[in-house]
Amino acid sequence: MRRYILRRFLQGLVLLVLVATIVFFLGRLTGNPADLMLPEDALEEDRVALIETLGLDGPLHKQFGIFLANALRGDLGDSIRHREPAVDVFFSRLPNTLKIVPGTMALALILAIPLGILSALYRGRMIDRVSGAIGVLGIATPNFWLGILLIYVFSVQLGWLPSARMGGPQHYILPTITLGTFLVAGFMRLIRSSMLEVLDSEFVKLARIKGLSETIVVWKHCLRNALIPVLSLWGVLMGGLVTGAIVTETVFAWPGIGRLTYEAVIFRDYPLLQAVIIMDAVLIVIINLVVDILYAYVDPRIRLAE
Amino acid sequence: MKNLPWTSLFIIITMLFMAVFAPVISPHSPIDQTLADKLIPPVWEEGGNAKYLLGTDVFGRDVLSRLFYGARVSMIVSALTLLVGGGVGLVIGIVSGYVGGRLDNLLMRIVDAALAFPAILFALLLAVTMGQGLRTIVIAISLLLWARFARVVRGEVLAVKQRDFVSLARVHGCSPVRIMVTHILPNVMNTFMVLLTLYVGVVIVAEASLSFLGAGIPPPTPSWGLMVAEGRGKVASAWWISLIPGIAITLVVLAFNLFGDWLRDRLDPKLRQL
Amino acid sequence: MRHRGLLKGCLFSLLLALAWTAVAAEKQQGTLIVAIDTLGAQSMDPIQETRSAHAHYQAPMYDAIVGFNFEKGGAGPGVAERWELAKDGLSWIFHIRKGMKWHNGDPVTAHDVKFSLERTMSKESIASRGPGLRRDVKSIDVIDDYTVQVHTNGVQVHFAEGLSRATYQEGQLMPKKYIETVGAEGFRKKPIGSGPWKFVKSVPGDRIEYEAIDYPHYRGTPHFKRMILLLVPEESTRVAMVSTGEAAIASISPEAIRESKAAGLRVVSVPGTMQAIYQMYGLYLPESQKNPLADKRVREALSLAIDRKQIIEHVMYGEAKMPMPFATFDYSVDDDTERWQNWSREAFRYDPKRAKQLLAEAGYPNGFELKFASTALAGTPFMVPIGLAVADFWRRLGVKVKYTNYEYGSFAPMLRGEQKQLVGVVSMYRTAGRPAAAARFYGAFHSKGAHHLLGRGKDCPKLCKTFDELHKAVTVEQDPVKRTEKTNRMIELVSNEWFAVPILEGMGYWAVNPRKVGAFKAIPGRHEFGDLFQRMPRPEQKPW
Repeated sequence: MRRYILRRFLQGLVLLVLVATIVFFLGRLTGNPADLMLPEDALEEDRVALIETLGLDGPLHKQFGIFLANALRGDLGDSIRHREPAVDVFFSRLPNTLKIVPGTMALALILAIPLGILSALYRGRMIDRVSGAIGVLGIATPNFWLGILLIYVFSVQLGWLPSARMGGPQHYILPTITLGTFLVAGFMRLIRSSMLEVLDSEFVKLARIKGLSETIVVWKHCLRNALIPVLSLWGVLMGGLVTGAIVTETVFAWPGIGRLTYEAVIFRDYPLLQAVIIMDAVLIVIINLVVDILYAYVDPRIRLAE
Repeated sequence: MKNLPWTSLFIIITMLFMAVFAPVISPHSPIDQTLADKLIPPVWEEGGNAKYLLGTDVFGRDVLSRLFYGARVSMIVSALTLLVGGGVGLVIGIVSGYVGGRLDNLLMRIVDAALAFPAILFALLLAVTMGQGLRTIVIAISLLLWARFARVVRGEVLAVKQRDFVSLARVHGCSPVRIMVTHILPNVMNTFMVLLTLYVGVVIVAEASLSFLGAGIPPPTPSWGLMVAEGRGKVASAWWISLIPGIAITLVVLAFNLFGDWLRDRLDPKLRQL
Repeated sequence: MRHRGLLKGCLFSLLLALAWTAVAAEKQQGTLIVAIDTLGAQSMDPIQETRSAHAHYQAPMYDAIVGFNFEKGGAGPGVAERWELAKDGLSWIFHIRKGMKWHNGDPVTAHDVKFSLERTMSKESIASRGPGLRRDVKSIDVIDDYTVQVHTNGVQVHFAEGLSRATYQEGQLMPKKYIETVGAEGFRKKPIGSGPWKFVKSVPGDRIEYEAIDYPHYRGTPHFKRMILLLVPEESTRVAMVSTGEAAIASISPEAIRESKAAGLRVVSVPGTMQAIYQMYGLYLPESQKNPLADKRVREALSLAIDRKQIIEHVMYGEAKMPMPFATFDYSVDDDTERWQNWSREAFRYDPKRAKQLLAEAGYPNGFELKFASTALAGTPFMVPIGLAVADFWRRLGVKVKYTNYEYGSFAPMLRGEQKQLVGVVSMYRTAGRPAAAARFYGAFHSKGAHHLLGRGKDCPKLCKTFDELHKAVTVEQDPVKRTEKTNRMIELVSNEWFAVPILEGMGYWAVNPRKVGAFKAIPGRHEFGDLFQRMPRPEQKPW
């Protein structure tokens, strides 16, 4: 087990270096922040001076060397736009994004579990079709648009909820719905298929033969086993969550990492962009690792396979 | 043919019809502007005009014609993306799963890297690097798709590999390439087809999100996503600009997903993680 | 007896002070909440901001050496009450207003002015005019506590205007003693200025909070007690927030004007904030001479084919104006405004017949293929729809428009150096509203300028050389009358060549909730309201 963890850890490191390299070079292909900082009538010499002040002069491979050397020491550079360490900027925004995650996950599961169970129990019937449709609705509507419609209906027209920004509990409702519905379909499909698998398994048949009531069979035996694979979806979902957060945070003026990432791209704030993506990747690597380890404990077959 | 998802099929066929015959059935040009006719509501609303059945947008362009041409653009984007992204995913999935060992390990780590990278961000980076356009979008969304395809296909290949006919072929001295093409490929086609239908929706919605972030199909070419993004600020005063293509997107994505679900249950009921 | 007098005096002043505090306390109440599309770098240190967002969020707390002409736009009295160019033209003398104080109570003096300029010019500054000031300024002398003399390299006739936020941000005043005491880091954490608003806190990516000063200030004492600037990137969300009253004011683009009015909001348009233009690159090169655009008649035809009134009416929802010649506005200094207003009416008319005729005369009766690069600079996203409308008019003229849309960050690099990818291309561009046009002319047309539309290096044809000489003559001319005459000639020279053509004069747009804030008047040419917030009345107060 320890060797397994160590190997996954090393693989994670390799992955990080890979991601960092891609971001470094791809970022620099996108243009230069100096062009976005200078006024329309700036002279070439002003530009040269600014690039020098920003420390963006010198050949690319040298810059990359410096970047790598610093990164190994844990220094990802200063944000060009915010003039402070990029990692600090990232961590000042991360909590805001994390604040919407629990609600989002809860919402997604609350919707996905019953829908998934229903469609597995009534497979192929009308109710399966309808639950499927409800689950998919979340991914069938572009979520920027869903957010804007929600604001229009619940804030502007009905006046029930605040339209945007962080604040009291009522501020969380609309962003949570916007981001959460996006995840329902994935969860629901997974729960449905693993429920089908479990319902078909020997021990459920046995439980039924033993004469246990259907409710107990479904809730106690099936659901618990069906939820295990949901764990494995976490890693993939984190990527999706960041994507969803870029859009949702823009619509709801939420000062989280999604919005920060978007601004880093548009402003060509290379150090910030690198920091944000590397930190995202670190998060995903950690989550994947934790999930894998949990998984190995929950499901002994995996341990054996290794 | 019992239980065919008729509603889904109807919606999909309607969209395909719109896409193919857009030049024939469109009453107006999708890009020529008539500024004086801007923001006319659909014909059934007060102030509507029979000349523009679904109304006009901010440049006085016919929403109906843009919807037809938009169907075409959205279909082209989906088709190309699925061909490229899905195709690459299929090949890598088969090779990785069949060959196994170190190669499998390496490829799967790359897949992990691709999944770890926030896809839309990559698309955004590409769009600001290469400029907006069909090519950028296809590459960007393909990069989002291939890893997902590869992962699922590989899983299937691992199962198929164990089956007798593959061992038999190997014993008969078939080359690995031949086995992959003639024995493995046909057996993962079902899964692949299901993936294709389920991911049409993902592509259409991803394109819309890119349009919202200013990195989608560049104007004036209509795509449904761009139409929604362009009209999003006018939900109160001119709902038809964004609501009509928005509903179109929702219906089509729903239809493809339900159709995909149906297909999956027919062909490959155990498929998960989609 | 004398003691009693003194006592009386003391009592009286105490009462006065009490009364003033009472009035002030009664006067200042409520919170002004403003939703804007950008907070820029969101750094409270003026030398760390580079773009116009400074006028949103730094202007409330920092004063500039030169202020505004609130009525007409352009420069006016600021911390310097008045200023003059020395007889030899090689230095500017600024007379500083007396009785001003920093938020910690220290007086504002000439030393702060010298310190601020030098800090802006220093190496640690990324302020965009920093390098420009380093070039232009030779030395700065403090003559007495309220007089500063700035020696320039050569004659700099527009130097004073450049220290107003009507032009650039680099005239902002920073506290010398305070920064020297607490250091740059301390200053950034707890900044103080001399403006009508005190800094309270800044939450990155979310908001900046201010508190009003309670003493008189030349820019006015705020009517609200507190102010919050919110960063809300999505426009439809900003409009929603103003509709629900979560914000009093929001910056909007012309596309949201109709929506805002429908929601019962007031729309405030700031006149003359920008000019939307299109321009053509590299036509001076020998290899460009076969390009149809190298023919002046073709260039004029393109302009005549645009129905600017329709674009103003339908794309800008009526909230824009017919343009003046390139880079000039109603508030421009140095030119004959009336003459150019008249000229523009005729030159920028819609005349498709004449356009077709000119095209035929030039030998292109069936049109030609034209590469059009559309882009929008930060803060003016409506440049894209304007570009789309222009392309459509050209299509109607019979020109085959190859339209490409660029995000500005990817467009900007193409403008540099030889502009290889842009030779023979027409692109969208803009001019920010500024009182002195000469710098913008240099950037666009001078052979050493950023865009060098007329020529560059050894490829500098006659027109290019003429312009370079004329521009030089304008910028060193100290006599205002002669400068006007030369400026007019410069404007005439480029206007008749149609290389950079104004499409319309844009405005800055804001949606205002009348239940949250009273009526106010914007400063022409300055889109951002940072210099204006203190003047905004509460809804129940008399309009200002």
